[in-house]
Amino acid sequence: MSLGTLPAVVDAAALASALDPSALLATGGAVDGLRTAARVLAEGIGKGAVYFTIAVGLTLVFGLMGVLNFAHGAVAMVGAYLGGLVLVIVVGANTGTLATILVFFVALALVFAVTTAAGSAMEVTLIRPIYDRTPTYQILLTFGVSLIIEEVARIVLTLRGIQPDPQWQAPMATAPDVLLGRTQLFGVGVRRLYLFEIAIGAVVAVAVWAFLTKTLYGLYIRAGSEDTEMVQALGVDVRKAFTVVFGVGTGLAAVGGVLLMWDPIWGPSVLLSIDVLLYAFVVVIIGGLGSFTGTLAAAGIVGIADSVTTWLFTTGIVTFPGLSEVTIFLLLVVMLIIRPQGLYGVEEVGGH
Amino acid sequence: MVVVLYMGLFAMSFDFVSGYTGYLSFGHAAFYGTGAYFVVLAANGQVPGIPGGTPFMITLVLGAVLAGLLALVIGSVSFRLTGVYFAMITLGFAQVIYELIRSWGYVSTNPTEGATVSGDALAIGVPYVDALSLDVGRLTGESVENLLGLGIDLSATVVSYYALGIVVVVCYFAMQRIVHSPFGRVMIAIRENEERARAVGYATYRFKLAAFAVSGFFGAIAGGIFAAYSRSVAPDGTFYFLVTADALITTIVGGFGTLAGPIYGTLFNQGLEDVLSTESGGIATLLREGLPASALEADLFGVSLELFVNTAVDGRAPLYLGIVFVLFVLFVPNGILGTLRDRLGGTVGKRLPDHLRRYLR
Repeated sequence: MSLGTLPAVVDAAALASALDPSALLATGGAVDGLRTAARVLAEGIGKGAVYFTIAVGLTLVFGLMGVLNFAHGAVAMVGAYLGGLVLVIVVGANTGTLATILVFFVALALVFAVTTAAGSAMEVTLIRPIYDRTPTYQILLTFGVSLIIEEVARIVLTLRGIQPDPQWQAPMATAPDVLLGRTQLFGVGVRRLYLFEIAIGAVVAVAVWAFLTKTLYGLYIRAGSEDTEMVQALGVDVRKAFTVVFGVGTGLAAVGGVLLMWDPIWGPSVLLSIDVLLYAFVVVIIGGLGSFTGTLAAAGIVGIADSVTTWLFTTGIVTFPGLSEVTIFLLLVVMLIIRPQGLYGVEEVGGH
Repeated sequence: MVVVLYMGLFAMSFDFVSGYTGYLSFGHAAFYGTGAYFVVLAANGQVPGIPGGTPFMITLVLGAVLAGLLALVIGSVSFRLTGVYFAMITLGFAQVIYELIRSWGYVSTNPTEGATVSGDALAIGVPYVDALSLDVGRLTGESVENLLGLGIDLSATVVSYYALGIVVVVCYFAMQRIVHSPFGRVMIAIRENEERARAVGYATYRFKLAAFAVSGFFGAIAGGIFAAYSRSVAPDGTFYFLVTADALITTIVGGFGTLAGPIYGTLFNQGLEDVLSTESGGIATLLREGLPASALEADLFGVSLELFVNTAVDGRAPLYLGIVFVLFVLFVPNGILGTLRDRLGGTVGKRLPDHLRRYLR
C-alpha cells in the first residue's frame, strides 16, 4: 500500500483483481454474495498478516522500553532491499519454485540476524544515553536515524544504478509463478500470495508469542512493560534486556520488509520507509501500545477494513480513490477518541 | 532564501504549540496545507462566498481563521490525550485530510498534483490600495526600480523576499507578544508541570486549545504566503507528514521552546542545502573542479569518485541534516539559540553587548 505516492499502482492492482473473470462473476450475482464476502475476508486476513508482521516489532519495543521507534519503517525498507539483494544474487531463471522459496527463507533468516545485530548496536550507542530524557527526545532521535538510513539507502541505490523511487523490479520478478496464481479454497478463488503471507504472518506470530511466554527474556518484557522499576529491583539486568528487545524489534521490522518484497502493492522502494511506519503506527495504536494480542487483533481489523474498502472502490460502489487510506487513518483517530489505550492496552503505558 | 521565510514561519508556529506547551503537534502540516490551499482556491474563485480577485491579504487571513477553527476541532478531541498519543492523533487527522485532499476532484482536475493559481499575481500590502501593495511570485512578482528615489533597483525575487519578510516579522512579533503575555506563562507552566498549573486554578484544557488555534492560525499564514510565492500547491508539499517533519527538524536544530530558534534552524537547513548544491560554488562543484582528474576517476568499491561526489554530496542535504539532527538531539538538546541563551544567561540581544564589552577593554 504505497501510501503517499503510488495510489495508481494500488488501484491498478486492485482493478486487476476485480477484472479477473472469476471475481467479476462473483461480484455479479446476488447468489454469489457470500462467496465474494469470503474472498474479501480472505484477502483482508492476508493483508492483516502483512500489517501484523510490520507492526509487531514496534509494539514489542514500546511495550518494554516505552520508546516509539520512528526508525522502524526505515529498517523495514532496508530489510526489503537486503532480502531482494539475496534473491537477485542467488535466484536465476532456472531456479525451481521450491528452491526459490527456500532461498526466500534463508534471506529472511539472514536479514533478521543482520538487522537484529545492527538494532542492538544502535540501542547501545544512540538510545541508551537518552533514556533519562522525556520520550519526545527518543522520538526525535529515532526519527533522525530513520532520515539518515533513508538518505544512505538512496545514495547507495543511485550509485548501484537502481532507481530508489519506483519499486525495484528485479527481486519482485523472482517471485515464483505459483504464488502469483489463485487457488480454489471452499469454492473461492484466493490469491496464493495472500496464503503465503498468512502462513509467514502466522509463523512470526507464533514465534513472537513463544518468545514472550516461553523464554526468560519474554518474561522480562512482560514484567518490564508492567513495571520496569520493580523488575530492576528484583535483580534483572534491564539494560541488557533493552538491548536484546530493541535488536529483536528491529529484526522483526526487517522481516516485515522482506515479506513486502514480493507483494505487488508494496515492493522494495525507499518510500516504504514512511509507508510502513505510518501503517505500523495505526495498527499498534489501535491494538494498544505494547500489547501483543492487541496488535494481532488490530492487524486483522485494519487488514479487513483495507480489503473491504478496496473492494467497495473497485466495484464502483464508492468512487472515491483514497477510500482505503482514509478509512485506515480514520480508524486510528476514532480509536484514539473513544478508547485511547487501544483494544488491549494497559491504561498506564505511554502515560496519556 | 525565500524558503527560509515561509518554512521558518511554519516551524515557528509549530514551536509555538510544541515547544511552549510540550504537546508535539505531529499533524501540523494540516494547517499549513489549509492556508496554502485556501489561498489558491480563493484566488481561482473556487471558494463559495469569496469572489475571485479578492485581495490576497484578505484571503490569507480568512484561510488562517479557517485553520484556527480546524485547530479548535482537532484540538478539542486531541487534548484529552497527552504524550505519544497526542502526537499520533494529530498525525492521524493530518493524514486523513491529506488523503482526502489528494483525491478531491474539486481542487483541480488532477488533485494528486495539486492546484495552481491561474489568475493575476497575489499582492502583499494594504488591500484595495495598489500603491501600497506588492505583487509576489518567482516570475510574476513586481520589480521596483529606483526605490524611494535612492537609485536602488529591486528584482522580483528581492521584492517578494521583503514582502514575505514583512508578513513573517509581523507574525513573529505577534507570537512573541503572546508568549510573553500572562497567557504565554500559562503555556510554559503547562509544559513544565500541567497538574500543578491545573491545581493553581488554570483551566489548562482551554489554554492548550487556544494555543493550538493560534498556532494553527500562524501555520496557515505560512502556508498562504508559500502558496502566493510559488503559485502552486501540491498535497505532498503541504499536507504531508514530511512537511511537519521538516518543521520539527529545524525547530530542534534552532532551539526547541525559543520562538526565534526555528528561523535560525531553517536558515541552517537552507544554508546547508545551498552549500552542498551544484549551483555557484557549492561543495559538489568545488570537489569536481578542485580534485585532479586521476583522483576523480579513482575506484571506490566499483564506482568512480566523481560519481560518488555526484550522488553522495550533490543535493544530499537531508543526509547531513539528519546526522546534524541526531548529534543535536544527543549533545545540544536545547538547539542553537537555546544553548546560546544558556551560555549568555539571558536573551542574546540583552546579554551579548555585555559579553562583547569585556573584550573591548
